[in-house]
Amino acid sequence: MLARNFIKHFPCRNLSRHHILRDRVRPLIFFTSSTPQSSISISASLSSSSSSSSSSSSPSCFTDESFAAPYLSVRIHCPKHVVDPFSDALLCFGASSVAVDEDIEEEDDEDAASGSSHASKEICIESIFPVHEEVKTCISQAANSIGLKEIPKFKVEMGDEQDWITKNQDLFQPVEIAERLWIVPEWSSPPVPEAVNIILNPGFAFGTGEHPTTRLCLLLLQSLIKGGEAFLDYGTGSGILAIAALKFGAASSVGVDIDPLAIKSTSHNAALNNIPLEKLELHLAPSENSSSGRETPLQKEQFDVVIASILLNPVMELADHIVSFGKPGATIGISGILSEQLPIVKERYSTFLENISTATIGDWVCMSGTKKGEFIDN
Amino acid sequence: MAAAKEILLRRPVAATIRLTVPAGGARPATPVGPALGQYRLNLMAFCKDFNARTQKYKPDTPMAVTITAFKDNSFEFTVKSPSVSWYVKKAAGVDKGSTRPGHLTVTTLSVRHVYEIAKVKQTDPFCQYMPLESICKSIIGTANSMGIKIVQDLE
Repeated sequence: MLARNFIKHFPCRNLSRHHILRDRVRPLIFFTSSTPQSSISISASLSSSSSSSSSSSSPSCFTDESFAAPYLSVRIHCPKHVVDPFSDALLCFGASSVAVDEDIEEEDDEDAASGSSHASKEICIESIFPVHEEVKTCISQAANSIGLKEIPKFKVEMGDEQDWITKNQDLFQPVEIAERLWIVPEWSSPPVPEAVNIILNPGFAFGTGEHPTTRLCLLLLQSLIKGGEAFLDYGTGSGILAIAALKFGAASSVGVDIDPLAIKSTSHNAALNNIPLEKLELHLAPSENSSSGRETPLQKEQFDVVIASILLNPVMELADHIVSFGKPGATIGISGILSEQLPIVKERYSTFLENISTATIGDWVCMSGTKKGEFIDN
Repeated sequence: MAAAKEILLRRPVAATIRLTVPAGGARPATPVGPALGQYRLNLMAFCKDFNARTQKYKPDTPMAVTITAFKDNSFEFTVKSPSVSWYVKKAAGVDKGSTRPGHLTVTTLSVRHVYEIAKVKQTDPFCQYMPLESICKSIIGTANSMGIKIVQDLE
């Protein structure tokens, strides 16, 4: 079922830009409470990828299929009246996240010894810890800091990223973006075979088509692509826009992203949609910390349509860069911004674009305009 | 979030999740992934939303997020900037406060630092209606309790 299994291991280049939130190096000894349930065999190999798997945003967990990032899942039984301060304290002392179930009235796995009168006064907290965290120390420090007399009972389990990925795959259903345009996950069959169906397996990269930002871009593309255009997808993610453009009739698509995972995901999705290699070119753009300079091997003024669906900051910083890839008269589309952020984006891009129009879904906005014929190059 | 109370009454809440995510850096991996994945929330939607809304903070600032997950797999979330003590430590360039606050001063900060921190804190949803002066006083209090003195000007 996991089509990702065939994606080969490759070294992840841009790890340096991910700051490791917790620098503490702990020995690989484990918890005094219950034994972890699954795959301890990977713990030995963790030492090399340990720092990256305990940082909050590392893509390496997707690249190494055999080393999917583990984490510690801890259930803590805590007196009801201190849930809030205790949760905050846990976060201060090393927990990555704390979740409190709202409607649990009784404890289901309460020990018989404590009796039912205690059960109703306790609430269960699910907490996630990085794999090298000393759970017991953290919990006792948290309990001390709020004045709890005794350390709450807790149970530790080893969890794995793959668990929730596979569990949640069914959340991704075929989506109808517009009439006769569907986005279909790799593991489903298209509900309307004659429509334009884009098959996707997004993995960790963005772009399933359901999010308003992607939807807005897809609708824009649908209205713009008449046939034969050259399209640039800046910030391609899962490649959904690049692939959609080709399906609508564009002559060629180029996808650029700073995340190597996105490049992998896009090639995979291109294969799923039977896109020949010469029609879809992919480039890994350097991120800020890399030393290899800003230039991607792409020529300027080469594209009829350029879409950048990223976030406010990159879109503002890279305005010149993004627009430079379009031919004079090309349409440039910017998405991934909130309606409150629109005014500054509009102002920034109005030096380059004319006929600026916007489309909105909820809080999200997509802005598009045509590149002015002549302007002073900065 | 003004209608939060209304919404809570209308939709049954499954859980409340708290975690720390770097501003602009939410990704569907640990810690966001497992924490939200457990309640079957749409990770991409959260990441995009969170990243877009935290663009105005310095990248990688650890933001405190509280997510209310509803039983129908929808969710709402609020974002708070880091605690005052985090800002104070960052501004002072120290890793931890004094071991004997009140007796031992670790370092000093200027009034200007306090003002800058107060301005950031004022954008928090919970502090929006507090006068800047009160926020400043609370920051000075926190700094003192960490053994960091506030002076008029740094020499």
